[in-house]
Amino acid sequence: MFSRWNWVACGFYLLLNICSPDVSGGLVQSCGHIIPESPVLALGSNFTALCILNESCLDFGNIYANQIIWKIKNKVVPKEQYREINRTVSSVTFNDTSSLATPLTCNILADGQIEQNIYGITVTVGLAPEKPKNLSCIVHQISMFTYVMNCTWNPGRHTFLDTEFRLRYSWPEEVFPDCIPKGVNNSCTITDIQFFVNTEIWVEAANALGKAESDPLVVDPVDIVKPLSPQNVSVSSGILPTVLKLSWENCIQDAVMTLKFNIRYRITGDTSWIEVPPEDTASPRTSFSVQGLRPYTEYAFSIRCMKEDGVGYWSDWSEAKTGITTEDQPSKGPPIWRIIDASHSPACWTVHLMWKALKPFEANGVILQYEVTVRDKSSLSSPLKKYNVTSTNHTLQLPNGTYEVTLIARNSVGASPPSVLLIPASNSKAPVKNLRTLPKHDKLWVGWTAPNSYVLKYVIEWCLVSSSSDCIIEWQIVLGDVQGIDLKGIKPFKCYLITVYPLYADGQGSGQSVKAYLKQDRPSKGPTVQTKKVGKAEAVLTWNHLTVEEQNGFIRNYTILYKTIDGNETVVTVDPSKTEYTLSSLTSDTLYTVRMMASTDNGSRTGPDFTFTTQKFGKGEIEAIVVPVCLAFLLIVLLGVLFCFNKRDLIKKHIWPIVPDPSKSNIAQWSPQVPAKHNFNSKDQMYPEGSFTDVSVVEIEADDKKSFSEQDLKPFDLLKKEKSTSEGHSSGIGGSSCMSSPRQSVSDSDEGETTQNTSSTVQYSTVVLNGYRDQTPVQVFSRSESTQPLLDSEERSEEHAGGADSTAQRQQYFRQNGGQDENNTDRPCFERAKQITQANEGDLVGFVQLQVSGQSSQPLGLGMENNTQEATLSNAFQTCTEGQTVRPETVEENPLSVADMPKSYLPQTVRQGGYMPQ
Amino acid sequence: MAAADSPSPALRRRDLCSRGIRLAGKMRADVVDLLDIYVEQQGLDASASVAAVEGVPLAAVERWDEQTGTQRLLENLAAYRAFRALLAQMLEEQREQLGEADEGLGRALAAVLLQVSAFAYHLEELLRLESRGIPGEEGDGPPPPPPRLSLFEQKLRGLGVLRELAQWAVRSARDLRQLAKPSPATGTAPGLAESP
Repeated sequence: MFSRWNWVACGFYLLLNICSPDVSGGLVQSCGHIIPESPVLALGSNFTALCILNESCLDFGNIYANQIIWKIKNKVVPKEQYREINRTVSSVTFNDTSSLATPLTCNILADGQIEQNIYGITVTVGLAPEKPKNLSCIVHQISMFTYVMNCTWNPGRHTFLDTEFRLRYSWPEEVFPDCIPKGVNNSCTITDIQFFVNTEIWVEAANALGKAESDPLVVDPVDIVKPLSPQNVSVSSGILPTVLKLSWENCIQDAVMTLKFNIRYRITGDTSWIEVPPEDTASPRTSFSVQGLRPYTEYAFSIRCMKEDGVGYWSDWSEAKTGITTEDQPSKGPPIWRIIDASHSPACWTVHLMWKALKPFEANGVILQYEVTVRDKSSLSSPLKKYNVTSTNHTLQLPNGTYEVTLIARNSVGASPPSVLLIPASNSKAPVKNLRTLPKHDKLWVGWTAPNSYVLKYVIEWCLVSSSSDCIIEWQIVLGDVQGIDLKGIKPFKCYLITVYPLYADGQGSGQSVKAYLKQDRPSKGPTVQTKKVGKAEAVLTWNHLTVEEQNGFIRNYTILYKTIDGNETVVTVDPSKTEYTLSSLTSDTLYTVRMMASTDNGSRTGPDFTFTTQKFGKGEIEAIVVPVCLAFLLIVLLGVLFCFNKRDLIKKHIWPIVPDPSKSNIAQWSPQVPAKHNFNSKDQMYPEGSFTDVSVVEIEADDKKSFSEQDLKPFDLLKKEKSTSEGHSSGIGGSSCMSSPRQSVSDSDEGETTQNTSSTVQYSTVVLNGYRDQTPVQVFSRSESTQPLLDSEERSEEHAGGADSTAQRQQYFRQNGGQDENNTDRPCFERAKQITQANEGDLVGFVQLQVSGQSSQPLGLGMENNTQEATLSNAFQTCTEGQTVRPETVEENPLSVADMPKSYLPQTVRQGGYMPQ
Repeated sequence: MAAADSPSPALRRRDLCSRGIRLAGKMRADVVDLLDIYVEQQGLDASASVAAVEGVPLAAVERWDEQTGTQRLLENLAAYRAFRALLAQMLEEQREQLGEADEGLGRALAAVLLQVSAFAYHLEELLRLESRGIPGEEGDGPPPPPPRLSLFEQKLRGLGVLRELAQWAVRSARDLRQLAKPSPATGTAPGLAESP
């Protein structure tokens, strides 16, 4: 219990001691303290601190040095750095002060539990000042009598401590007050300067860790003076036009120093200065005359000074003062050139004389007027013409000839040397060669090769080419030994036309021209392309040249880019001189997009897109289709018309069949002798020889029950049989002998009946083809004179007797008999058939066969004699007519029937209900 | 720019002479300017005649050209030491009279005082180069403290000091030029060689 109270009392005592300020004479005393108190330490050095406990605390509080704990900013210092010197003193050692921080505290672990702070110190770490280096001083003149000396130095490294710099200076027996910098640590200004005494100047730097001094600078301040520049500078012109007098005031006492000067000057507006030779102004003075100046030119002058011996500093340049030299007479005549306008009349020129105003250094004053003198060299007697002009151009009306123009510029002092321009009647001399240009930064160099002859001067004309305005000519004259000049004021991206004329002593050469750009750019716009003509596979594109303002350079080429909507773009390069191009190999009826690009050396610009669609048909295609079709149509129509015309009877018969007039029937006269009754002679006249186309002779046995009826002998149209078997039944009703069909006989024989029927044959009839056409057969052969109307029965019997098959067979048979006309020239009834056969060359073979068979039956009664021959020929022709509808078997049967054919005539028996003559 | 190195005695002497001449010229110019300011400030008449100031050696001397170099230096040194004391007294009296009200006159007086001190230093250096002992100021004894003068008398005395200083500045420049002349025989100043 006692022990517990003892510890409480002890802790209370310790707390009182710790918390109380250690004030001398204070009520409470600390239990310890640290040595050293608030040290300033060099960075990187080692440091040892001691914590010393008070004896009183030892006795009362039972605290000892071994209980001390060192802390840096609440961080416990490792115990390895502690050392217990005795029971009241503990030390801590730091090998490197850079690890130190503030505060460093000494603490005690009371009763092994409670940590109490005994004492603390502030540790300052830094560096000692370095020796200031590079001390230099300069004395600035502030006013006539006021000088200040400003010294600068290098203060060295940062010390992390408050470091005081002092600039000190002294005489050997006089120490002046120190100069303490304000706000800076590397310069100070001394205001109390005494010249002519060597003054020792140095810098002291000091802080808590040490002090350093710079090397002393021993200098007489007068030797480091930067004086004020001369004041009140004035410039006055002298008598001479090339001299200006410069005056000034010096701001420094002669007693302090004597001065030397620098004078510089330049023409107002120039940038570079010209300096008067320093040796001319190396002595003290307050004025100087600058010579060698240009007359009537404004100059700016500036002056500076320094100590005469050159020790010290130059003052600043004074403010520039200007002055103008007086006038002098012009030094040269104005350059003169001309433009001759002979457009009005070749015999009379309008001469525009123009000259350049003299440059200021040439005019040497204000040009009051120009005197132009014109002398006609072609006429010695003509008087001189003089003109006084105040402008720089003059226009004369002169007859064509050679003139010498003299120009003089005059100012208030005098006249210039004359400028002479020879205007020859023609520019017949040699021109310059190899005219070329080359851009040089902002200038355009123009070069040429001199002609072989001696050239006095060259005139270079140039003008900005514009599409909207005339070329405003600028010009320049250079001497004859020059072969290239730089043109100034040339704008980039503009086209210039440059012409060079050589001027000879006795004439003038023709001008050589070249176009040039100072700098090229890509065109400002692209060409607008459009189609001139669009075809099926080609399109003619046309465009306008870009204006010269739009070109921005030489157009090297045009590029046409075209494509279909989904196709690849095709590129075509076109010569820049062209304005039209034909795109070929295009796809018909296709939408194309085309655009055009103009290219200069520096880029390209594309114009707007243009679309067009190629045509579906090419040129003439429609015509090539339509015209033949029309022609073919017309031909067909014509043929149809002709056909119809030729077949009008047949058509007529189809539409309006000829109804035989029974009243005119003459059946009673129709007998085998009838033909004899007919006037064959007359028929021969009507049907000349060879007009028969087909002849059949059919011999029919008289007793044959199946003898041919008259129906079978009705006439048959050849062409109708050729074309259509359906037309076969359009036979003549009542059928004349001419129209009785041999085919019918053949048809019968086809049916296997012919052989039997012809066993007793009689000559029945001759058949005349086309008997319907012109009704000739009707007129010639009157088959019957009966007046009995038989139309219906005849028609029906025909239809009944012949089916489609028999009709075809008839047709075949008829074809076999076709062409017999050649050997039956005496049968006019066949003439028409022959004509038709000739018109149908394609059926010639068939006709030949028919012709052969016809031959066998041609002469009545003589047919049998020819049968053998006929059969032979038929066989011979068979081989040639394969594929034909005519079968040779049909022909072969004829001889068989002919052999049994009765020689007498009998009226035809009607087979199968055929017509029977009444 | 002068350096801290040690040039030869001849060069040093020439340099000191040259610098002393220019300092004397500067000092004269400043004193002349100061005189104008002083007369104006003190309300004196510029044409007022002032009796010789006690303790100030007169610049005018007979047989000036017969003086030796050392003699010239010694007389100059004595004079400028006297001027230094007088100017210091004038500056103190000036401050007592006008306080800080007229800094211009005070600064000018201080500047002239510095120049006088600098010139005295030049003279001492020249004597040191000639291996001549420099007389101590105590040995020569400073001019006895002037009796208590009235304000006007102080002004007149100040005017007299400045006028005499201006005279001495002219003489000192001539003395140093004389000293700076090269000695054809010995290379030293003839005056110094002749000095006793």
